[in-house]
Amino acid sequence: MTALISARGLTRTYRLGRVDVPALRGVDVELAAGEFVAITGPSGSGKSTLMHILGCLDTATSGHYAIDGEDVSRLRGKALARVRNRKVGFVFQTFNLMPRLTVEENVALPLRYRGGIARLERRARARRLLERLGLGDRIGHRPDELSGGQRQRVAIARALIGEPAILMADEPTGNLDSQAGAQVLETFDELHRAGHAIVLVTHDPGVAARAERIIQIADGRIAGAA
Amino acid sequence: MTLLESLVTGLDEARRHWGQTLLSLLGLVLGTASIVTVLALFGGQAALTQKYLDEVGGVGTLVIQNRDQPDSPTARELASRRLTWRDAEFLARHARTASVVVPGWSRQLAYRTGGRSFEGEVVGTVPGYAVINDIRPLAGRFLTDLDVARASRVAVLGWKYADSLFGAAPGALGRMVELGGKRYLVVGVLVREEFRFASWAENALEYRNERAYIPISTAVLQHSGEDRLDFLTVKARAAAGVASAEGELRSLLYALHGVEDVDITPSGGNAGKQTGQFLLLFNFIFLVVGAVSLFTGGVVIANILLASVVERVREFGTRMALGATGGGIFAQVLAEVLVVTLMGGALGLLLGAALTGVVGHLMKMPAVVSPAIALLATATAVLVGLLAGLFPALRAARLSPVEALRYG
Repeated sequence: MTALISARGLTRTYRLGRVDVPALRGVDVELAAGEFVAITGPSGSGKSTLMHILGCLDTATSGHYAIDGEDVSRLRGKALARVRNRKVGFVFQTFNLMPRLTVEENVALPLRYRGGIARLERRARARRLLERLGLGDRIGHRPDELSGGQRQRVAIARALIGEPAILMADEPTGNLDSQAGAQVLETFDELHRAGHAIVLVTHDPGVAARAERIIQIADGRIAGAA
Repeated sequence: MTLLESLVTGLDEARRHWGQTLLSLLGLVLGTASIVTVLALFGGQAALTQKYLDEVGGVGTLVIQNRDQPDSPTARELASRRLTWRDAEFLARHARTASVVVPGWSRQLAYRTGGRSFEGEVVGTVPGYAVINDIRPLAGRFLTDLDVARASRVAVLGWKYADSLFGAAPGALGRMVELGGKRYLVVGVLVREEFRFASWAENALEYRNERAYIPISTAVLQHSGEDRLDFLTVKARAAAGVASAEGELRSLLYALHGVEDVDITPSGGNAGKQTGQFLLLFNFIFLVVGAVSLFTGGVVIANILLASVVERVREFGTRMALGATGGGIFAQVLAEVLVVTLMGGALGLLLGAALTGVVGHLMKMPAVVSPAIALLATATAVLVGLLAGLFPALRAARLSPVEALRYG
């Protein structure tokens, strides 16, 4: 099986004033297509930093990183934005929906940034996806008219609309009650069964347990894998 | 993301916070309104001046006058005979850019009739003067070629003098009036001429009501005894243009006089000077107010935009995570500014038009907001807005996605 994600010796150092603070001290990650991996670890362990680098929101200080066979470790700015748009779908703890856009517009947003797709086509694709996720009756609503669980599923739809190689979720159930959280996790399970590769960052062992594989981070290093 | 979509996003943003938007726009609105008003009043005044110029003979009319001799004139200046009847004939024959050349003679003479007497202007000229200066008789006629040929002692009175000498202007016809001690038959009375640059301003054409016209030949024979003239009125050929006519006249007269001792000015050149000066001050104040308002508006907008950028750092971070580039974010913020400032410009335009109406009405002055003014004012507002939005937009565009997402 070819590696979807292949990271070698990733380090990330932040400069705080005159002090260099290492957040990652050399991490190797491999992820196969269709794999569901959880990254766990205590806060400050570097798990979020790792996810940001894997999601191309940040770049490693050193090390090599390739998504889908494309070396992205040297990419910056516009090229990195393109990779984020096409290869990665993000789901955030706080949903991060655009409050002024409708559910449908929110979901279609990544396609707007991709360009070259007509508005009607974008809307049609957003609607199809929302229906698939059981939100077909909410397309014209604004995010503040939805429950937390619904909002997060809208955010998942937004992450999926561009048919990314990999779905990245950062504490996706962190702001949800247990029932809504369970529903969201159920959605992730379904997506996994449908063949999507998922990287899920969480500090909740119960959530991490749903993944096929767990990568534990501590002190910027991989502390264990299960 | 296309520019149109950025614009739609921007408009939506502005609509969402319309209260805040309006407040931030206030400076821009006031500034634009003020500038619109000033320009409209300027435009109205310029139109009036044009009308006045048409009234005194149109733009193609030039007046040649003897220049005051300096305190210590040179030999050439002393030798020159200055403007003469001969000059008038020479120009009429040789100046190719001039269609009509009218000689003029002017003196302050004593007017006398029955019990009344005063000093006033008497102009000696030829029939062509009435054509060039658009002079129409109210009663009787203007001077004729026959009057000039025979050096008749006939006079055509301006409306006011006819009125004050004979009680009623038309009543002067056929009566005798003494000008500079010689008796003249009044053969015509002119229509009263009036032109005001503002209702409170003086009649700019009053001088035409306060004079009498006599044949140039009579003037020379009866009152000066030599053929010196005081001015020449020249109508330039439309095809030649005023500037080239002026050049030709200047060089021909130089050749005749051997020295440059005449001034050539467009007719009505200092039209409405006093009114203009008052308006200039008025306009200056308005322009300063407008500029300050616009500047303040720009600063306020820049400030509010900066605050809104800070407020929305996470939104920009999310957009970047979804694939927005720095350039895309920049375009979005700038598009919002564009929408907002266009609104400000439009509102300012409406307010300015209303203000123009009120000021024009109160000051009894014509003022029109032309499309050019509207365009200029709106463009200025948008320019100010874009300059104000540049820095906030750059800041938003330079955010790092991770830091933006972590913010707040």
